Amino acid sequence: MLLLMQSLFWLIAGISAAPFVLGGEVFMGALALATMLLALATLLLGVGVLWRRHRARGWAIALEVVCLAGTAILLLLPIGFNSGVVSVMVNVALPVAVIVLLRKDSTEAFS
Amino acid sequence: MFDIAPDHAVGLYAALVALPLALVALRLRTGSRGMPGTVRAASVLMAMSGAIHLGLVGTHLDEILTAALFAANGVAYIALSQMYSWRWWRIASASVIAVTLFGYLGYIVLDFDTPDQVAIATKLLELTTLGFVLVPVRGERPWRRLRWTALGAAIPILTVVTVATVWIDALARPDAQHAHAGAVLQATNDVATPEQTAAAQRLYDETAAAIAPYADWRNAWAAGYRPGGSQTLPSTHWMNQRYVDSGYVMDPHHPQGLVYANTKHGPELIGAMFQMRRIGQFGPDPGGPLTAWHQHENICFTPFGLEFSLMTPTATCPIGSIDISVPPMLHVWIVDNPGGRFAVDIDDRLVRKIDQS
Repeated sequence: MLLLMQSLFWLIAGISAAPFVLGGEVFMGALALATMLLALATLLLGVGVLWRRHRARGWAIALEVVCLAGTAILLLLPIGFNSGVVSVMVNVALPVAVIVLLRKDSTEAFS
Repeated sequence: MFDIAPDHAVGLYAALVALPLALVALRLRTGSRGMPGTVRAASVLMAMSGAIHLGLVGTHLDEILTAALFAANGVAYIALSQMYSWRWWRIASASVIAVTLFGYLGYIVLDFDTPDQVAIATKLLELTTLGFVLVPVRGERPWRRLRWTALGAAIPILTVVTVATVWIDALARPDAQHAHAGAVLQATNDVATPEQTAAAQRLYDETAAAIAPYADWRNAWAAGYRPGGSQTLPSTHWMNQRYVDSGYVMDPHHPQGLVYANTKHGPELIGAMFQMRRIGQFGPDPGGPLTAWHQHENICFTPFGLEFSLMTPTATCPIGSIDISVPPMLHVWIVDNPGGRFAVDIDDRLVRKIDQS
């Protein structure tokens, strides 16, 4: 469920770049496509976890660790990274929750 | 959208108080141990959503209908968070959450409320709760296929519709401090005084005269200005890193940036840009509302082509880009910009006209 929500957030981020592509930002097109592919991959990982695929669990944990590390770096850099409630929920709490649930017994997390 | 409305902050505190209480209640409740993890998660999230709604009642007493709806919502959520063993719990919870979501979207569309961080966070909590409520549990037979279908269709549709509504509202109806999405204006008096009008005119005259030599972009290049973005776009900011680092404050002879229209005859100077060094540090404002600085916040910036997009209401950027805010800036447009000489943006039609001239 949490992976579904995360994939939706990325899908929305991918779609959000589309108007800028129409405005002439060509590189944003590639990023939008990559983001939508990441959203699809996250959704597939969620399905894999649901089907008790150990490899999917491993990949999902790795993905969340990368997300958390990226967020930590951005929060530490003085670039004005958004640290609002929603950002903390989506970029910190959600990955932490996925990691905690996936580290537990799968029947506990997904029954 | 990225702020917290003062009368909504209490909802956030209520949720933080409710979280440990909901966890303790779950632990104390006999039989909760045997409940599936998704049901227990839904219970905790619903208790938090209920606490947020109840917390908002007190700050909305002057809006009777809104306060009553908050109270009803809060009570319903708190009650449902404890009734997870009830036979009709799933359908009742899903109904309450769906009605609440649609009700909120109606409020936004009708302009009864402006989305802020507390509201968006609550909607995300509710959407996640709805997902947990709908997830079929192993061994549960009734409505299994219907629930998977609902989960696969309703959650994505509701999430996209909710986020899109919030975003469209924020873009279409920016508040007084937001010139447009991502640009926060410096707070000023409403109407310029004669002294402020004269000061703005002086700033314009001095800046226009000082940057005149840069009409030839080669002079700008020689002075250290470099294009700061794609030159396939209608206009490009050329930045002088030495002037940025030196910390000149609104010095007409050392503007941190120049703005060129990218025309078929080459870069054509259309304005200058002053920039402060730190985020949140607005510069001097001699012209009052005429020369208000602005700060771009929550921009998704990518080093690939130095391009930008905007961060979504769910605080995500396309991968390969990062969320940044840039220090306050003030433009001085030396062309006849319909938005004004110190407007946040240059009019695209004007840039096209310059290109075609």
